[in-house]
Amino acid sequence: MMNFLVFCCVVLPFVVGATLYCVQSNSLRTTLVPVTVLVMAMAAVGLGAGGPFHMEARHFLGLPLDGLFTLLDFVLLFYILVLGWNLRSRLVMGMTALQMIGLMYLKGVLAGHDPLITGFAPDGLSLIMVIIISVVGGLITIYGLGYMDIHEEHQHLRTSRQPRFFAIILCFLGAMNGLVLCNNMSWMFFFWEVTTLCSFFLISHDNTEEARKNAFRALWMNVLGGLAFVSAMLFIQKTLGTLSMEIVLQKMTALDIKSTAMLLPFAFLCLAAFTKSAQVPFESWLCGAMVAPTPVSALLHSATMVKAGTYLLLRMAPAFADTTMSTIVALFGAFTFVGTCMLAVSQSNAKKILAYSTIANLGLIITCVGINTAASMVAATMIIVYHSVSKGLLFMCVGSIEQRIGSRDIEDMRGLYNVMPRTATITAIGIFTMLLPPFGMLIGKWMAIEAIARATQAMTPILFFIALGSAFTVFFWARWAGILISSANLHEYPTSGLQRPTVLFALRTLCGVALLFSFLSPMVLKDFIGPSVAGVYARLNLRAEGFIPGAGFTGVEEYSWIYLLFIVLALGAWLAWRVTRRVPEKAHSLPYFSGLAVKQGNEIGFRGPMNVFEPARVSNYYLPQYFGEEKITRAVDVISTAFLIVLVGGLL
Amino acid sequence: MLSSIFGALGGLILAPLAGGFLSGVDRRLTARLQSRVGPPLLQPFYDVFKLFGKESKVTNAWLVFSAYVYLMSSAFSLFIFFMGGDLLLLFFVLTIGAVFQVVGAICVPSPYSQVGAQRELLLMVAYEPILILVFVGFAMCTGSFMIADVFKLDSPLLLKMPLLFLALGYALTIKLRKSPFDFSASHHGHQELVRGVQTEYSGPYLALIEIGHWLDLVLILGLCALFWHTSVIGMLILVMASLFTEILIDNITARLTWQWMVQKQSLLLGMGLALVNLLWLYVA
Repeated sequence: MMNFLVFCCVVLPFVVGATLYCVQSNSLRTTLVPVTVLVMAMAAVGLGAGGPFHMEARHFLGLPLDGLFTLLDFVLLFYILVLGWNLRSRLVMGMTALQMIGLMYLKGVLAGHDPLITGFAPDGLSLIMVIIISVVGGLITIYGLGYMDIHEEHQHLRTSRQPRFFAIILCFLGAMNGLVLCNNMSWMFFFWEVTTLCSFFLISHDNTEEARKNAFRALWMNVLGGLAFVSAMLFIQKTLGTLSMEIVLQKMTALDIKSTAMLLPFAFLCLAAFTKSAQVPFESWLCGAMVAPTPVSALLHSATMVKAGTYLLLRMAPAFADTTMSTIVALFGAFTFVGTCMLAVSQSNAKKILAYSTIANLGLIITCVGINTAASMVAATMIIVYHSVSKGLLFMCVGSIEQRIGSRDIEDMRGLYNVMPRTATITAIGIFTMLLPPFGMLIGKWMAIEAIARATQAMTPILFFIALGSAFTVFFWARWAGILISSANLHEYPTSGLQRPTVLFALRTLCGVALLFSFLSPMVLKDFIGPSVAGVYARLNLRAEGFIPGAGFTGVEEYSWIYLLFIVLALGAWLAWRVTRRVPEKAHSLPYFSGLAVKQGNEIGFRGPMNVFEPARVSNYYLPQYFGEEKITRAVDVISTAFLIVLVGGLL
Repeated sequence: MLSSIFGALGGLILAPLAGGFLSGVDRRLTARLQSRVGPPLLQPFYDVFKLFGKESKVTNAWLVFSAYVYLMSSAFSLFIFFMGGDLLLLFFVLTIGAVFQVVGAICVPSPYSQVGAQRELLLMVAYEPILILVFVGFAMCTGSFMIADVFKLDSPLLLKMPLLFLALGYALTIKLRKSPFDFSASHHGHQELVRGVQTEYSGPYLALIEIGHWLDLVLILGLCALFWHTSVIGMLILVMASLFTEILIDNITARLTWQWMVQKQSLLLGMGLALVNLLWLYVA
């Protein structure tokens, strides 16, 4: 049974993707994609319900699986090498060649005669990831069906490139599922490189000059990450004599003193994860990735790709617990958090705001990883789950808005509620789920702050960064929410516009998931995230100091306080809403304009000289003179590079 | 459990009275400092009753929603305070109100309220980190973020966190919109911004905002009182001293521009004080 479920999550998307690419039929795609997504989601939930398991997986279709993966590793690297040749990039070619040499040495010399490793051994975290990837990623794929139709109408393509697009997306999802389920690191490496390649293809999908440039940047940065991954594997094989993640973790946590030689591979893994998760100074590839069609950005930012890096770190974290290296990782994450939050303040481009906020939240997750206690692990997992849902939702909203109003600038979204009522409402809900209690993201952030405050190492500077960063977060989210509902009319009576059914379905479902899962967050914490972390700590015989934030509030050692919070706030919001709806139309007045306010059409302004109507123009403060990209990106990059040098160089 | 809930609810009912009275004291003292007689002590209540009697006039219904949510969040965070609840939760609930006040101001296409809202956001960037750091200071002294745990300590917190108290005073000045940080909603009838972030709130809805503001005043003074929890007289002295200092500072300083606040790094001054104190707690 497990075999079948794993097959559905990992291999099936590849098979369907290949079929879509070969058949190139529209009707087949519109039926096959939703069916595949549904099967994947069900299989993922099935896997999750079963709990952690072991699967040897020696053979696949009669072939030895380990040999197959080795072969695929080399084929893939060779393909990237050719790609580097076509792109005329010595950098990519050089780094890929180094990876091939490293892998050859690893497979041929170091690990030549080792016993076979258990193929799949997911823990609780992996299963949570599989569910996120399959459900959130699946919904984004369905959204893509409607989105890409309109997208290609705008582009006036002669032949549709959608078969290629959906084939790659499905492979991407399959690779992500494989990545989180694998136990053998060299298999994981294969999936790791597949996600790199898929993201390269997807970012360059529109084939414009800018798309190609940004895709190339994503490629070389992630190939650098791949090189770090190979180096890590080499060192792990050398010092610990195995590539099984389970055994690596057991051996590392059993050590009393972790010598620098033991820690070095984990520093390389951190480097690999930082490239994949687009931490500073590698943030530019993720910001550049927004040239791709929206479903791609939504996928890269929420369920897949960037979460692969945080997954790897979270899984490996116990191996380097209680070391200086761990503290440096936490500081690095906190610095990324505050740096990118500042950068987000200066942006008016909605996708860029979302991109920087993604990087910031990943930084927060990495801070929790670096704190490396059971409590911080719970916080990190919590943020991963809720960030995926809310960020996927927000990206899809921005995509729809852009297709309608032709701009992704938040200044152009003034009064959007009147134009696209449902999408604007969903966007505002998405923003509030990122920002305010009692929604899941904020509970994650709350747990993170408590976890950091209770940890012992270098807590003060980390807290300072987090506190400062979260204030900037409020800055850039609050004004966007205000803009969406901005209007000079008392009540808007919007007519609902046309929206593709698949797009609307995906938006509504994910919005529902975001709200429902926030409400269920006590259950999610108690039944999934808590036990998953506790399970890992129990298996590794680590001291787990769990705690329940705010438990003292209700006096109950449960998470029931969240319900209380939810009920009080929901009741308040509902009452406020009732009063709001009842404000009579005669209460309407024009905004204050020193007594000169005049309304013309839908615009407010005043009569200037010669009786000419002067509309009032308002704009947000973006403070480019303080937080502009050209002002601080360089400083952020330099400081973060210094962190990386300390992290890796300190151990060499 | 039940008695503490009723106690907290009772406190919540008394809080607007205390807050209104304190802002009456504020106006009276300010007047004396400016060689005026000043309004009666109950003037803030008269003002609010009058506002409630006004016809409602709004540009956008979302403004009404924002006003109610602001009041609700102020009341709820005060409730958490009286319950001896979690400081971080209190902070986050307080943020809801601050965010919605800004959302309400931005949702009207009026230059005055929009500029006020942007400035308010800048001020939030200045005071929010300070509040978090102060709460972390509490957690370092008591071992948890629960307010109830403060009362289990034997010696006043002021001795351990004097700089954090100063930093809190800094945040207090901003949150209460006192000079030199009152540039998001000037109280003094200056021309530049009319009433900034509050320009568009009027009549009964402005009254709601005003009551919410009283509740915030009580909450913040309550936080100040926590620094000397061992004696009631100590609490009173601390609260009175903080309030008087605020009023004095309000009257002897000129309003900053937001550029000055960012450029001269006065943003970082309060946080710097808090940081130094936290490091000290860490070492001690």
